[in-house]
Amino acid sequence: MLDLGWFIFLSPFFGFILILLFGRFNRHLPAIISSASILVAFLISAKIFLGLGSGTVYQSYTWFYGIHYGIFIDHLSIAMALMVSFVSLMIHLFASYYMGRDPNKHVYFAETALFTAGMLGLVVASNLVIFFLFWELVGLCSYLLIGFWFFKPNASAAAKKAFIVTRVGDMLFLVGMALLYTYLSPYTSHPLSIPYLISQSNISTIVAEIGRYRLGLVAVLLLGGAVGKSSQFPLHVWIPDAMEGPTTVSALIHAATMVTAGVYLVARVFPIFLDSASFSIYLVLIIGSFTALYAGTLGIIVNDVKRVLAYSTISQLGYMMAALGLGSLIGMSAVPFSIYHLMVHAFFKATLFMAAGAILISLMDLRDIKKMGGLWKRMPFTVSLMFIGSLTLAGIPPTAGFFSKGEIVSASYAYFLHYKTIASLAPYLFVLFGEFFTALYTFRMFFLVAIGRPRSYLAEHAREAPIWALLPVAALAVLSIIFGLFQHGFYSYFVPSFFVVAIPPLFDWLPLIFALVGIAVAYLFFGTNRWKSMKIARNPFYRLLKNKYYLDFLFTNIIAERVIHPLSSAFGRFERGYNTSNEKFGQSVVSLGDTFRRLQTGVVENYLTFIVAGISVILIIVLFLGGL
Amino acid sequence: MFLGLILLYLFASSIAAFGMKKSGYSFSLITTFVVMMLFIFLFIRDFSSGYSGGFLSYQSYLIPGAPGVRFSMAVSGFTFPLIIASSVVFLAAVGISNRERTTPSFYGLILFAEFGMVSLLVSRNFLFFYVFWEVVLVPVYFLISKFGTGNAARISLKFFVYTQAGSIFMLLSIFALYTYHSNLTGISTLSISSLMAPSFVSSLTAFEKGFILFGFLLSFLVKMPSFPVHAWFPDSYEKSPYSVTIVLTGALSLMGGYGFFGILFPLWPILKGGVSDLLIALGIISLVYFALSAMFQVNLKRMMAYASAAAMGFVTLSFGAGINLMGGMTSIPSASNAVLALSGGMFQMLAHSFIVVLIFSSLFIIVLRTGRETVMELGGIHRDAPRLSSLFLIGLLASLGLPGLAGFIGEFSVVVGTYGYIGALIFIVIFGMLITAAYHIWAAQRSLYGPYNETIGKIEDVSPFQFSILLTLAIFLVVLGLFPNMFFSLFTTYIGGLL
Repeated sequence: MLDLGWFIFLSPFFGFILILLFGRFNRHLPAIISSASILVAFLISAKIFLGLGSGTVYQSYTWFYGIHYGIFIDHLSIAMALMVSFVSLMIHLFASYYMGRDPNKHVYFAETALFTAGMLGLVVASNLVIFFLFWELVGLCSYLLIGFWFFKPNASAAAKKAFIVTRVGDMLFLVGMALLYTYLSPYTSHPLSIPYLISQSNISTIVAEIGRYRLGLVAVLLLGGAVGKSSQFPLHVWIPDAMEGPTTVSALIHAATMVTAGVYLVARVFPIFLDSASFSIYLVLIIGSFTALYAGTLGIIVNDVKRVLAYSTISQLGYMMAALGLGSLIGMSAVPFSIYHLMVHAFFKATLFMAAGAILISLMDLRDIKKMGGLWKRMPFTVSLMFIGSLTLAGIPPTAGFFSKGEIVSASYAYFLHYKTIASLAPYLFVLFGEFFTALYTFRMFFLVAIGRPRSYLAEHAREAPIWALLPVAALAVLSIIFGLFQHGFYSYFVPSFFVVAIPPLFDWLPLIFALVGIAVAYLFFGTNRWKSMKIARNPFYRLLKNKYYLDFLFTNIIAERVIHPLSSAFGRFERGYNTSNEKFGQSVVSLGDTFRRLQTGVVENYLTFIVAGISVILIIVLFLGGL
Repeated sequence: MFLGLILLYLFASSIAAFGMKKSGYSFSLITTFVVMMLFIFLFIRDFSSGYSGGFLSYQSYLIPGAPGVRFSMAVSGFTFPLIIASSVVFLAAVGISNRERTTPSFYGLILFAEFGMVSLLVSRNFLFFYVFWEVVLVPVYFLISKFGTGNAARISLKFFVYTQAGSIFMLLSIFALYTYHSNLTGISTLSISSLMAPSFVSSLTAFEKGFILFGFLLSFLVKMPSFPVHAWFPDSYEKSPYSVTIVLTGALSLMGGYGFFGILFPLWPILKGGVSDLLIALGIISLVYFALSAMFQVNLKRMMAYASAAAMGFVTLSFGAGINLMGGMTSIPSASNAVLALSGGMFQMLAHSFIVVLIFSSLFIIVLRTGRETVMELGGIHRDAPRLSSLFLIGLLASLGLPGLAGFIGEFSVVVGTYGYIGALIFIVIFGMLITAAYHIWAAQRSLYGPYNETIGKIEDVSPFQFSILLTLAIFLVVLGLFPNMFFSLFTTYIGGLL
């Protein structure tokens, strides 16, 4: 008997199949089926959430030898499931407006339903292998959806890039599972089962048997998977290109599904990180905090409104990772710290993307913010929603972003106070200056979009989207404001006695000060017309940022074109030469005697008849003598 | 009895098909379909109620006047899935052949090859094993030389010489085994189970063991195809008609894997160490070498030929590493690298057969519609033929090992299982898998997506009949990827039965 929890992901999956079968017959049906199936998933999650108490749901069956499939629902997974299904539902409702006129929308809604099913399946998976299956299903759907407008060369190239870059991380994840399986298979019959790995009593036995160092290796490899999926440095290069897909797909990828999967993976198996050698968790911290700053600096020179948001996602994911990396000080409280920011981020990022989507529709897909301007007057409701999203992203009170991100920055200061080394100071500085850059690029985008005078014909004639389409966006915007109220309740839902950050009050306010300074700088340059007279094209810093620190150059022009491509060409040429030399050798042997040639050029039918006759004689004898 | 009748039916049909001109296509389509259904029926009858390892004997009797030659047919939990896979492969090979083909011998040869293939898999006597090994090769040789494109005579000769060289050494090994056995025990037998008993083989001298193993290994590695005895395959795979390519990649490559897991496997205590390390090295090299060579190809068919050979590298690797990890195992533990690696290798063979059928069939239809086979000349055909391109994409994704499709189970099990023995070398395997993903996705992006190449002109999508057939196959790949245990547990039990 299947537990109700299975239908959290089966419901959108059935939606996917229904749309595939019947979606083409009615133009409203795809959106209705996908939204309804996700609504069912949300309602089931809510029911389980209310009935879960302090227990867990665990049901599993044998998949194949030593590997189980099943569902495991605890506080972490049900909270994620609620968020994913709710945000995804809102995005689907908006997509019924945004994608409403696309001729292939039955394909679109089928794929987004499958996308959501994959993410929900990942959230409730009970085994790392099943987790990996859904993980790749999510990757596949993102590949298909980024390349949804397959006839655009950029879109299909971006889809390819997303698939291959995340595949690098996935392979590390796979090796991580190989290590874990090999280490643990002598001691248990289900080495990759999640409840087994995260139970506190088992983890100490595991540590005793395989040692902290090996467990640390496993953790680092799993982190490799998370870095690819959650677009952390240096595997973040696919995200900005992925903006070629429909905007609602970007919203799904960035808010509800896909990129949060990596953070979720680390949070899911967090006891492994906590109890392994300390290098693994420090790596989480340093990668996360560095990404938070790094992506923030990249955001300030991008002119494509969607790419600004893409860099903001990378940076915010860095905050989530950094929060997890603080675990060596704050213990299991790192999980709620990180997941709380993940949820707040989902709300405001979906808001921002859908607001941007509404703008793009009205501006006929003009994405250059330097050609916008003055849209607040023309699209007041949409741009107000964007304003709320921007405030939350920058972490300004009273929005939830202030609480979720402020807590992470304060905790990293507490981390420094606790360890008092350079290595523990760096993450704090990264996340603190990240606050400044976040506010700067967010409000640079916002000021260029919203105020001033329209700078193109399209911007002059922008029109508000219909109110019914913006209602789901508004719901998310409201959530991103009021969700701050639940901060402590959220923390204690995960860890009843969570870590209370106690640092000097000045440092508590420092992130806000940095953010406000960022907004002020943004206003100084981009709220006025001053940016038009800036001469930065020759500035080396600008060039460095414009070339994305040459990381794309390294991957594409050096690794792909100068290493892999010559390598394959060398192998290919060697292989061709090997084949020819084989033939040459064969020919010289053949020319020695004519026997073989005669055999080959002889009458084919004669040869065949002989074989057939021989075989039939043997068979007849055998079958008859044996007493058929 | 029942099995013997199916084989007799196949044999009779192949002879009948030689004489047919117009109805050859429909006749052999019906035959291969009926044979497949019969095998599935037989499989369900004999294996659904529970399989407890070992061989299920169907027929066995001495042949008078020939000492030690016993005609025996038996199947195991490992061979029966392979039989089903090959019957599907041959059905597809007939199904996608040009209906207009009226040369009488084409279908006769294909059916004859199927007869040889299945008989090979059920023979438990080395004499018949060898005879049927040759019976498979001969018709395929004629299929390549008569119906292939390019320099078919030379290509088919290369194929024949390579495989023949392998099998001659295998014949010598069989004779040697026979002689040693009768000298040592006084019993003349050609039974595979007696000659492949570790207790007997381990009593031989090192030279004798080496001589025997050399013949078998050479013959199996050629068929795999594995580096460095692979020079026959790229041309044969590329220049044959698509039906024959499907037979070569889907069915004939099973012969090599069957040789390892079905024939040599009981000797694992002897193979351990030197021989298995060699196999691991060859497996890893094949995997990476063929993947990198595939990346270099621009012809989609040749690229997929290399991809198929690279996938078989996992099988060699899993066999080598698996037997090394066996240790002193006396029963199947609930979790162990050895069993995972070995069963994974077997599963990989099975999955690979179904995957290449989907890939080459859909590619064949693409080539029929557009008249182009190279990546550069195609482009954007998803616009006009979304169903066709989706089917091809599913094949590609399965081939690169995407979870949820059949290819993943095998690759996952092999990677995770073999890690226990090969350690950090796993990163070379991972590198090969990354390259595989890269060129598969590259091929899809260039040929299926992007702007439509208008010089192709308007093309039609796959016909509803072909679509439903290929969709069934694609769904089967998903089912196999989601519920692998119907075969995986048989493989595990099979290993347990041989301990």
